[in-house]
Amino acid sequence: MPSRTGSRSPAGLVKSLPERGLLLLMVLVLLEGTVLTLGAASSPDINHQENLGNDQEANKVTNHTKKAFPVLSLDYHHIQTPFEISLWVLLASLMKLGFHLIPRLSGIVPESCLLIVVGLLVGGLIKLAGENVPPVLDSRLFFLCLLPPIILDAGYFLPIRPFMENLGTILMFAVVGTLWNAFFIGGLLYAVCQIQPANPSDLHTLELLPCLLFGSIISAVDPVAVLAVFEEIHINELLHILVFGESLLNDAVTVVLYHLFEEYAGVGTVTVMDGFLGVISFLVVALGGVLVGAIYGILAAFTSRFTSHTRVIEPLFVFVYSYMAYLSAEMFHLSGIMALIACGAVMRPYVEANISHKSHTTIKYFLKMWSSVSETLIFIFLGVATVDGPHSWNWTFVTVTVILCLVARVIGVVGLTYIINKFRIVKLTTKDQFIVAYGGLRGAIAFSLGFLLDKDQFPMRKMFLTAIITVIFFTVFVQGMTIKPLVELLAVKKKQEAKRSINEEIHTQFLDHLLTGIEDICGHYGHHHWKDKLNRFNKKYVKKCLIAGERSKEPQLIAFYHKMEMKQAIELVESGGGVKLPSAVPSTVSMQNIQPKKIPPAKSVERALPQLPKGREEEIRKILRSNLQKTRQRLRSYNRHTLVVDPYEDGLGDLLLKKQKMIELEKKIKEMSNYLTVPAAPPDSPTMCRARLASGKDTDFKPAQQQKGNKICPDPQAYSVKPANDSVPTIQVDLASPQSPDSVNVMDEFRRANQEEEDQGLMMRPPHGQSGPNKSGEADGTRDQQKLMRCLSDPGPSADEEEDEPFLP
Amino acid sequence: MGSSSSSIDNIPNAQEIMQETGFSAAHLLRLYERFQFLDRDQTGKLRPEDFGALRELAMNPIGDRIIGAFFSPGQETVDFPSFVRILAHFRPTDSNRTREGPQQEPANSRTRKLKFAFQLYDQDRDGKISRAELLQVLRAMLGLQVTEEQLQSIAERAIQEADLDKDDAISFDEFRKSLEKVNIEHKMSIRFLR
Repeated sequence: MPSRTGSRSPAGLVKSLPERGLLLLMVLVLLEGTVLTLGAASSPDINHQENLGNDQEANKVTNHTKKAFPVLSLDYHHIQTPFEISLWVLLASLMKLGFHLIPRLSGIVPESCLLIVVGLLVGGLIKLAGENVPPVLDSRLFFLCLLPPIILDAGYFLPIRPFMENLGTILMFAVVGTLWNAFFIGGLLYAVCQIQPANPSDLHTLELLPCLLFGSIISAVDPVAVLAVFEEIHINELLHILVFGESLLNDAVTVVLYHLFEEYAGVGTVTVMDGFLGVISFLVVALGGVLVGAIYGILAAFTSRFTSHTRVIEPLFVFVYSYMAYLSAEMFHLSGIMALIACGAVMRPYVEANISHKSHTTIKYFLKMWSSVSETLIFIFLGVATVDGPHSWNWTFVTVTVILCLVARVIGVVGLTYIINKFRIVKLTTKDQFIVAYGGLRGAIAFSLGFLLDKDQFPMRKMFLTAIITVIFFTVFVQGMTIKPLVELLAVKKKQEAKRSINEEIHTQFLDHLLTGIEDICGHYGHHHWKDKLNRFNKKYVKKCLIAGERSKEPQLIAFYHKMEMKQAIELVESGGGVKLPSAVPSTVSMQNIQPKKIPPAKSVERALPQLPKGREEEIRKILRSNLQKTRQRLRSYNRHTLVVDPYEDGLGDLLLKKQKMIELEKKIKEMSNYLTVPAAPPDSPTMCRARLASGKDTDFKPAQQQKGNKICPDPQAYSVKPANDSVPTIQVDLASPQSPDSVNVMDEFRRANQEEEDQGLMMRPPHGQSGPNKSGEADGTRDQQKLMRCLSDPGPSADEEEDEPFLP
Repeated sequence: MGSSSSSIDNIPNAQEIMQETGFSAAHLLRLYERFQFLDRDQTGKLRPEDFGALRELAMNPIGDRIIGAFFSPGQETVDFPSFVRILAHFRPTDSNRTREGPQQEPANSRTRKLKFAFQLYDQDRDGKISRAELLQVLRAMLGLQVTEEQLQSIAERAIQEADLDKDDAISFDEFRKSLEKVNIEHKMSIRFLR
């Protein structure tokens, strides 16, 4: 298979890529074709062998027809189904890759269109190759495998606040709008069919009920298509949630209408009683779906409370519970889509409070991945199914359908908005209405529902399917392609990309409380009142059950704040620590505040050296930050059941460890300071050598000078002395210096800490000596030794000089 | 609700109030009935205790601030026109309003709404939200669930983000700027008061 490296020049890329793509397709198809035939060829042998094996147990091997032992055999049937599935998924993913390599194309044409075209091509190729086009858009496959990931992704990441605020509007559009569409289209189609004079395709045999059924299938706005198109145009949140919410909630209406008309299309009549039952059925379907979803959501939240020891399977719970919610709802013919949405929305706040950061990322990426692949596959299959047929083209029917769809949508939206605006605080403008109407795309759900129709009961099934496909193509291609330029032309407000600041969060909460108070004063049980009640209930009872441990008491503002700080901390570490920290470093002792900028050792330094200059502070921070970075890369042993330790959760552990180390070192230093007045040792001991060395310079043993004057190394005896163990902190033998030992030692601590962690230290690393019991004696020696070594090997970077300036009184 | 059936004529200065605040007659009537309900001893004026009798308002973390907002500094009671004037801030904004009448901005414009909210923060009315005032609000809202240090760090961060002229306090303009993405017309309106 040709590799996808691609040439460097864009022109070459554009020219070669379609060719490559086609080549790839040809190869795939031919591969499949040849492999199939090969498989067919090899199967008789297998059967033959099996038959023989059944007859003769004992000597079946020897009594066989003599054949050479097959060194390499081909057995396609064995792996056929998974292989083909994988091939399709691979094709879908490669197509997605390919489109983004041609930026100009993906700017003009939405991805969904391109994918349908690819599907058409693939279907065409398969047909040309003479094979039977596989019935890929099988309804069961679609509803049970391809649709749920997309809906779960949408439901889990549904922005709850705008959704709830606009719930009335969304429900109006979803329920009343869809009903209006269905009856309008169905009724008018029936009328048009009746009017038809003697038409060869006997349209006038079409009854009213099948027409209404067709109307209900075609009237539903499709969430997959809406997501696919709207994601690329980035309109403002309100419009997005209106159209998208409508596409999700109209599932209940569609389900009820579909079943109602399908049931009674055979009988031929629908009575008022049936209509009434239909309404009740609608309520049951919708509310039942939501209830089922909510139950599973709560179960998932409760389960996630106990997963603190098995973090690896946390995402699995989310996926499995949601899928089971969908399947359970479908079992009772309730609305599976609403169940999924309810499940995702209910479980999300609690699950996110319980699971680890990594699991959260995993869930996000898996959902995005699955929904992306599903969406791609759906569009490709639509293309393939179009090629497959069966088609029965009827100009009148199809064109009338398309026109009626548009007209019904526009009238419905305009009429409903007029009514809705009487109740809305922020009214919908004409521009908004236009986008809502234009964004009513139909998609694969309509096709699958049409596919499900029984052939015998509905002789016009083929015509229906053709019309459905035409409408889908029209909406996806024409409306999908033109909506972006129209949005630009009409200057519709776009999505605001900026992040939410803590100010917004504080003030929003404040305003919530304010409005609740005002509503109480007015005696008006409005929106805020009920929201406040729900929040109180949530805090008091629900959170305690569903969130593990301490997090249940955490108010929302604190959670938001932690999230922000965490994000900033991650950015800081990932950017390599070169960022200048903000000057304010408030202290926090909170258990969940993991921030590299709030470093406890830095605090202790500041306490000891109140006049620490800014440069020095930066230095300290840089050293400590690089330490933190290094510890992050430290891997513990890998075990299937525990992932690599998450540094941001165990970051606290690390910080505490460091703090402990620092405290220990400080204690040691305090002990050391007792030895400052040690009596003079005999001449041969290392101490005397040091003293001799010291006396070789000025009487005042100033470390700064020694650093700067590193060319002077008078005492040759010093070189031969073995350095002591590095782990012992050193003290300057500085009897004359008024400096407190603490300041010096702290700097040494850092060097010490630095050396231990990093392999490339600030200075040459002396070999490990014995851990001296007489720490005092060797302690001061080591530092001199290192200085000497530095003077030998290290030309003395400027950093060192800077470090020592504060030591000067 | 009120014992007597009141009509719009019972309300003194109804026409001026309606013109000033933009409430319709029906709304004004409803507010008058509510006012009478709150006014236990029928003095025609409200006192802080009357507000305090509302149970849910007592549970509200900033309830006392809201009550305080109704009373002008120094005054002990609220009469009906002042009551209505405060509530006029929460009327939904009329989008296509022509600039008729007095040049003064209507009570329910975005700026006036924000100013009202700002004054709830800024209790000492010096035109700025100081760190202490912000801390007070945070403490009220978050209660005893957080430590003092957490409150300090949140307040610190909030001021860092919003304070553009580095005077360690949030002025009204900075306040307005930090809320420019929030749909105030929607958030600070009650549908009831249309």
